[in-house]
Amino acid sequence: MPSRRRTLLKVIILGDSGVGKTSLMNQYVNKKFSNQYKATIGADFLTKEVQFEDRLFTLQIWDTAGQERFQSLGVAFYRGADCCVLVYDVNSMKSFDNLNNWREEFLIQASPSDPDNFPFVVLGNKIDVDGGNSRVVSEKKARAWCASKGNIPYFETSAKEGINVEEAFQCIAKNALKSGEEEEIYLPDTIDVGNSSQPRSSGCEC
Amino acid sequence: MSTSSSSPSSDEELIFNPNPIPKPIDDELTLASLTLTESNGNGSVGESDRYGGAGVVLEAEREGEREGPSSPSSSGYAGERGSSSEGTSNSRIGDEDDDGIQEVINDHDGFVDGVGDSSPSPSWVPGKRHVDEDDASISWRKRKKHFFILSHSGKPIYSRYGDEHKLAGFSATLQAIISFVENGKDRIKLVRAGKHQVVFLIKGPIYLVCISCTEESYESLRGQLELLYGQMILILTKSVNRCFEKNPKFDMTPLLGGTDVVFSSLIHSFNWNPATFLHAYTCLPLAYATRQAAGAVLQDVADSGVLFALLMCKCKVVSLVGAQKASLHPDDMLLLSNFVMSSESFRTSESFSPICLPRYNPTAFLYAYVHYFDADTYLMLLTTSSDAFYHLKDCRIRIEQVLLRSNVLSEVQRSMLEGGMRVEDLPVDPLPRSSMPHRLSQQRILTQSPEIFSESIVGIGGPTGLWHFIYRSIYLDQYVSSDFSPPISSPQQQKRLYRAYQKLYCSMHDKGIGPHKTQFRRDENYVLLCWVTQDFELYAAFDPLADKAVAIKTCNRVCQWVKDVENEIFLQGASPFSW
Repeated sequence: MPSRRRTLLKVIILGDSGVGKTSLMNQYVNKKFSNQYKATIGADFLTKEVQFEDRLFTLQIWDTAGQERFQSLGVAFYRGADCCVLVYDVNSMKSFDNLNNWREEFLIQASPSDPDNFPFVVLGNKIDVDGGNSRVVSEKKARAWCASKGNIPYFETSAKEGINVEEAFQCIAKNALKSGEEEEIYLPDTIDVGNSSQPRSSGCEC
Repeated sequence: MSTSSSSPSSDEELIFNPNPIPKPIDDELTLASLTLTESNGNGSVGESDRYGGAGVVLEAEREGEREGPSSPSSSGYAGERGSSSEGTSNSRIGDEDDDGIQEVINDHDGFVDGVGDSSPSPSWVPGKRHVDEDDASISWRKRKKHFFILSHSGKPIYSRYGDEHKLAGFSATLQAIISFVENGKDRIKLVRAGKHQVVFLIKGPIYLVCISCTEESYESLRGQLELLYGQMILILTKSVNRCFEKNPKFDMTPLLGGTDVVFSSLIHSFNWNPATFLHAYTCLPLAYATRQAAGAVLQDVADSGVLFALLMCKCKVVSLVGAQKASLHPDDMLLLSNFVMSSESFRTSESFSPICLPRYNPTAFLYAYVHYFDADTYLMLLTTSSDAFYHLKDCRIRIEQVLLRSNVLSEVQRSMLEGGMRVEDLPVDPLPRSSMPHRLSQQRILTQSPEIFSESIVGIGGPTGLWHFIYRSIYLDQYVSSDFSPPISSPQQQKRLYRAYQKLYCSMHDKGIGPHKTQFRRDENYVLLCWVTQDFELYAAFDPLADKAVAIKTCNRVCQWVKDVENEIFLQGASPFSW
């Protein structure tokens, strides 16, 4: 089957526990929302096909657990991510303050080749709660932080109401894709028989 | 918890050598699964009957965490959220009770080979099947043997069944398990979950995983993963590692475009080709002079700058020659012939293709000139020079002329039709070797009417209940396998016998407990006898009621018979390791 080249993008979602990472993902992939809180254990994985500028992509979404005790999942977990989504709860100052830690932690663990330009997206979630009355992080403050970190795209979302979720993930896909553009060139060698250091199968050196 | 896969207690096992019966379980393996279990706390590793390593690490913890009864909604394995794409995510749960079962009842392992000649028959459809499946499909979950290749960032590279992209969540789960164990400065090798084994092979940035409920041993499955990795190296070389070093998110699937069929054909051959576990090659039976003629002309071209010259008929060697000091490993021959035979384009025109021989040099390419003389017989000339096409074309023309002149090609065709050694032809009373120089060909004349002959022996097999044998010459790195005949006639029976041999091979080569010299094993299907010496290994299957003393005597006769016809069934004086 001569299929068109498809691209797979690894997207990691990070943020404090309870900010709504899993709910955002569920809203995006399954169009479902549940008020019940179930802590993610370790990680959840979802895939979603998206179309963008007439190309097909598969988003491989890594929904991580926010609790600190699961951070041991480690380096390999973040390895090869195409985009990192940082989520906080607009009703919790602590979850916003922690964005910096999440970002730093990710850059240390994933050690991307160009950390300054690695694509992040920030989502301020739960804007629906209490009609916005319990909000403690202003949009202005959030945008200022994003700007200071190299103009990270910012979205205010509600996983419950489905507000801005689709738009946010469109942006995530777009950014992940941009970072994947400069592909490594695969340049294999050819055997040089004259080269005496060439490895051979065992058992023939006699 | 993990359990040992020791053979049923109803088996009669008699070992007449000083060493005890090898227990088919490795201490190291037990450790691997123990490590996992411990880190999860509640030991659900072995209890989970669902496949999918998915559940193993992550869900085990989840169960400890929740108050209420947990639904398996984590992990790529979950029906509910496992793998969703637009438009299909709503129908997941419903799927599970409906279809898929009938499909599963059929032979999902895809073994439908022709009888006699051990090669794929036209009824085996090459290429990947069941592309529409993913990890949420019940039919996918019930497949007996899955193979996956993924990158160290969890991106899928190959899956035997289902679409790789739809399995991205499952692939991520596998990576998470590997990563989790790696994080504890450990390495995961095997997870047992009920009847299923999940075998992991880590090759730098490439992860290979087999999930199987076929009761094959860990060593066998690991060996199959090694071959799968070798096949990938044959196509791409180890240079891909560099791409991953520079860029962990490197996606190598585009580089492997169109090679699904190569992998699926290799996986299929695990069922029918004993070379996959014997690590030896086999020759097409030919008169000594005929093979000599072929060897001579191949030697000519090898002297003119060709590294290896191979003339093969399907997966059997007619002749092969290597340049001075160059050695060709039987596994490389297996992977090379699989690559050539499974790629349809080689059949239609002469080709020049970069290939890598993983056992010869995994880091760099050679160039293969491939030309089919007829539907089954093909020539492969390997060189280090990327601009040698026209030289090799000239070589081929020369070779073809000689082969035609000396009737090699027609002899090859004749041998294909006549088949190889048959247990019914086992000489009853071996005569002195000198008086019977060409035993195999003489016997053929005696059994000219095969239909009548085979009718008369249905359900009997050879003398003294001998049903089948494989003889492997250690010195030559070659084996010869008798043709299948009744009662081992259906593909399923043949696969079962190969699996039994495979198990026998593993137990005889168990480094921890072996080496063993002989093994006699009786179960409800066969009597299996294995005899290993410095020079050869003999694997023989008998009627389950066969007498032990008679069986041993018969094995001696088989060995004598092989010796009598060795000039026809083996490529002499050209051991790949003896140049």
